[in-house]
Amino acid sequence: MHIDLKKELKQSNLGRTGMTILLLMIAVAILAPVLSQYDPTEQTAASLVSPSLSHWLGTNHVGQDIWSQLLYGARISLLVGFGVGTLSLILSIFFGLSSAIIGGLYGRVVMRVVDALIVIPMVIAVILVAAYIRPDVLVLIFLLSLLGWQSGARVIRAQALSLKESGHVKASATFGASRFYITRRHILPELTPILLVEFIYGVRRAVFIEAGLAFLGICDPMLISWGSMMRDAMRFTYLNVWQWWLVPAGIALSLTIIGLTFISHAAESVLDPRLRGEAVA
Amino acid sequence: MLEIIDVHVSYGNDTVLNGVNLSLDTGERLAVVGESGTGKTTLGLSIMRLTEGKVEGAINLDGKDITRLSEKQMQQIRWNRVAMVFQNVNNVLNPVHTVIDQVCEPIVEHKLKRKGDALRKAGELLSYFGLAQNRFSSFPHQLSGGEQQRVLLAMALSNDPGLLILDEPLSSLDVTAREDLGLLLRQIDRKRAQLVITHDLDTASRLSDRIAVLYGGKIVETGPTQEVMQCPRHPYTRALVRAYPNMTTVKDLQGIKGRMTRPVSGCPFHPRCTQAIDICSRKMPPLAVEEGRGVACHRGGIITLLSTANLSKSFDLLKAVDAVSLNIQAGETLALVGQSGSGKTTLAKMIMGLYPPSEGSLFFDGKQIVSHGKDFYGRVQMIFQNPGESLSHRLSVLHSVMEPLEIQSKGDQKQRRSKAIQTIEEVELPPTDNFLNKYPHHLSGGEMQRVAIARALVLDPDLLIADEPTSFLDASVGAKILKLLLNLQEHRGLSLLYITHDIAAARKVSDRIAVMLDGRIIEVGPSNEIVSSPKQDYTSRLLSSASALSRTERL
Repeated sequence: MHIDLKKELKQSNLGRTGMTILLLMIAVAILAPVLSQYDPTEQTAASLVSPSLSHWLGTNHVGQDIWSQLLYGARISLLVGFGVGTLSLILSIFFGLSSAIIGGLYGRVVMRVVDALIVIPMVIAVILVAAYIRPDVLVLIFLLSLLGWQSGARVIRAQALSLKESGHVKASATFGASRFYITRRHILPELTPILLVEFIYGVRRAVFIEAGLAFLGICDPMLISWGSMMRDAMRFTYLNVWQWWLVPAGIALSLTIIGLTFISHAAESVLDPRLRGEAVA
Repeated sequence: MLEIIDVHVSYGNDTVLNGVNLSLDTGERLAVVGESGTGKTTLGLSIMRLTEGKVEGAINLDGKDITRLSEKQMQQIRWNRVAMVFQNVNNVLNPVHTVIDQVCEPIVEHKLKRKGDALRKAGELLSYFGLAQNRFSSFPHQLSGGEQQRVLLAMALSNDPGLLILDEPLSSLDVTAREDLGLLLRQIDRKRAQLVITHDLDTASRLSDRIAVLYGGKIVETGPTQEVMQCPRHPYTRALVRAYPNMTTVKDLQGIKGRMTRPVSGCPFHPRCTQAIDICSRKMPPLAVEEGRGVACHRGGIITLLSTANLSKSFDLLKAVDAVSLNIQAGETLALVGQSGSGKTTLAKMIMGLYPPSEGSLFFDGKQIVSHGKDFYGRVQMIFQNPGESLSHRLSVLHSVMEPLEIQSKGDQKQRRSKAIQTIEEVELPPTDNFLNKYPHHLSGGEMQRVAIARALVLDPDLLIADEPTSFLDASVGAKILKLLLNLQEHRGLSLLYITHDIAAARKVSDRIAVMLDGRIIEVGPSNEIVSSPKQDYTSRLLSSASALSRTERL
């Protein structure tokens, strides 16, 4: 089946909407210093100020500008999201492909390891580990990636195994192609749509878990994150600050996750004929 | 009786015969065959000493070297000891004399008989060759070609020569006259030797016991006629058999690539040969005779390209391929015929190294193949059953065809491109940019299979394994693909292992057929033998259930 993924994504409403949201978030993250004049960590006014022209969303309990915290929070969210997405995808590709292509004992061992790791409930494991080591962003990315590549590896392995048996891969082998060449020139490019879906999954999960951990307070307390904003805001629900403190952070997080969901759903429906039509409509 | 030793004949600078050695005993019938221009007639004329060319070497007739005789001595021998039936009948008979007079003429001239005896003898001979009595006094132009040929034969035998040279004796006759005259010639008493010169394999098989194949003024193969025809050892002889329409072989006719050129250094056939190596262009191979068969070839005749020895493959309890031993010769088509599930494709995949064999070994070009490397894949290629699957949907036509070159790191990008385009043209696809940039899903099934064939050919393999190449195509497209494969075989000398369930198609394209059942080869032999007299019940069943257009004969 020949699929032009880019074209199909552009044609799907969900795909377009998702891409727009994601691009908007990325733009916000990059342009944060331009869109806000305040440093999010600096105390710039009295605490718990209501929204005004100088502080669009007011200030929090220590007098930091909430609008700029919201903007900079996108950075952390997306950094962790894309970082984990990329790293866990690399791990998935490496173990998934190698176990499929090399096969044999190695392949079986890798897959049993995957089975073992998949049993570990990720969120609980992360909370336990993070509670001990209080990770900064980089460690968090590593941690989430290490715990999040297994299912991707499984999917990639399954697809690679079926591709390995396909006609043109066999044909390539009969021209004398090495396994490396076949993997690079045939299997990997064929997998692109699946890799994209896996990548987006990874990003979405990481964004969500990062926010969750921050909400629970199990991370570097100096980090400005939507999760930690919500946690702080929750302490002041008896005041009406939640309207410009809790809600905007919640909306930003939801929007990001919705955008990613839309993209992955659109990509999936392109790949899976059974989802076609239904989702694109 | 006749011994020709290292004879060279040249007209000016043009050497026509180049070291011919032949011997012929009384009672023997030898045919010299070859296509026109190989020097057959010159050989006959040299024995008669009628050639205008310069003759070197010795032609011993009854122990006397006739090249050294004076013209007068030669006249004694000509017609008495050796007579020749010339090829071009219309110019040979004298238009102003009756035919019986012309048959008498040599008898009287050599003063052997009185006129009356001579006339009687001439009449007997003419009757023997089936000329009606009332035609004896006709003039040549009043006779048909066949009748003139009979007169010529009678003339040649008029003085009872010990050696009869027949130059294309049957070629001007229709098939039934051939049959008659062929029988008569065969019945001529065994006291004389006959040398039949012909380009016609049918004539040779009718009139000779032994055959010598002449090419470019050299003898390339000798042996008993039937054996040589059934299983030729020299590539030229095989090509000749393939080019000859007959009732024995069932494969489609094939020509011989190129045309005869002279002079050629080394083996005269090497520019047209499909298995030529370096030395062929430098040295003429000697005629090596073994057990009555001689072949002049540096490679010992047609080589065995690929052979399997007890190759087996088991999948758990199932023995998919069970001790298969097969040979594929250079330039031949071997059809592997059997029902689905008989292990044909498994065998092909084992040969290609896609499955490791459970047992047995594989030899290519005389060497055992332990691991399939790039060298092997450069020489053996496969086309798969379903072209839609075997071509990657992500690669354009051009890139698909270039892929093997890229994998084998042959040439730079530009050379690969031009080689790919050349091959695409060879499989009769348009080499336009528009076409080259198409993707498989833009192509028809036939076009896809052609692209797959081009991709397999781009490495210039010696052996092509075609696994049901036409099963996904409709009949007219499939026929074109098979034709294409045969043409490629003719031009490149490609060996084909043609895998099919369809014995009707197999007999059209294959030299030999191997029938496979439950993983075993149950029968293998020349296609015509398998088709006409199968030895196994299963083969008969295959044949009787094969495609046919008329069902009446089955009832």
